[in-house]
Amino acid sequence: MSTLHLVRQSAFATNDFAQCLSVLDHQDSIVLMDDGCYNLKHSLMDSLIKRVDGTLSINVITRHAQARAIEISAAVQHIEMSDVVELTFNHTKVITWQ
Amino acid sequence: MTSSYTQEKNDLPPSNGLAIINSKAPFSSNHGKDALDVALIFGSFEQKVSLFFQGDGVYQLIANQDARLVSIKDYLKTFSAFEFYDIEDIYVCQQSLVNRQLEEKFHIGDVQVLSSIEFGLALNRHQHVLRF
Amino acid sequence: MKTLAVVVTTPPYSHLTISALTYVEAALVAGINVIGVFFYQDGAMHANKDISIASDEYQAIEHWQRLNKEYQLPLHICITAAEKRGIACDSIDNDQVNEAFTVSGLGELVELTTKAARLVQF
Repeated sequence: MSTLHLVRQSAFATNDFAQCLSVLDHQDSIVLMDDGCYNLKHSLMDSLIKRVDGTLSINVITRHAQARAIEISAAVQHIEMSDVVELTFNHTKVITWQ
Repeated sequence: MTSSYTQEKNDLPPSNGLAIINSKAPFSSNHGKDALDVALIFGSFEQKVSLFFQGDGVYQLIANQDARLVSIKDYLKTFSAFEFYDIEDIYVCQQSLVNRQLEEKFHIGDVQVLSSIEFGLALNRHQHVLRF
Repeated sequence: MKTLAVVVTTPPYSHLTISALTYVEAALVAGINVIGVFFYQDGAMHANKDISIASDEYQAIEHWQRLNKEYQLPLHICITAAEKRGIACDSIDNDQVNEAFTVSGLGELVELTTKAARLVQF
């Protein structure tokens, strides 16, 4: 049982990312996309990155981060939209946080 | 990446039904009403649907509100019809209540107040999730 | 069978819709059976034939029309959401509604979710 979380908003602007993190399970994956990419520099990311233990994965859509001139840290996977499709079917369900 | 259809490998009982997460306060946006419309249609089609209230969404459940004072059609009153639509499971995020200094005084009965972990587990019991 | 249903809640002029389109197209290209896209809330504005977006900007409606044509991708507009936003759906010819879109109700959303292995919201 694992959930794919699509995070589309900045935690500096809304509570969506924080709410996502409160229901996150250890086998889930996160995709930071659209303004969700800004979360890479948010304090919530620090405790999240510590949870990345091989089962929880954090992904960023490379283009979305690059468009925003955001540096991608090594702890996150760089992916494309086609990978998001694959992740959709590698998890039992998808929740969009927007 | 190799793809896999993990649901087939899952030993747990299959997750079932739709979970609707309400994340917005009741009056300044249409999200609460739009979410309610989806919930009622699923109920009327006899499809399992459960309601989750998190963040500002918890305000939708608080007792003694009156939308008419601000000329809004009081869709919150329709919440008392949930049972009639077989919408049985109503979950509220406890932390969201605490953060807003809200007491557990709701305008409907049978609301389950859950910790964040329990909230996540309850979500996992559903096959699909929509969030408004 | 990998079946997918998508809900779009953002209007055609929103940048957020670009991600929805990119995702749906990637799914179609990957051979996923996208059984339908349901346009709800502001997403219903996609049905409006009279929307005019500056020609040098992203043409979301054209892209949906293209996917509808190339893949027979069903595009369902929620009638209540559309009418609330000024798109008249009640005439038999549906003059104001873009042909690539089908005027439906929330009942269609129930259909799509019961048939789909995955439901993704944008």
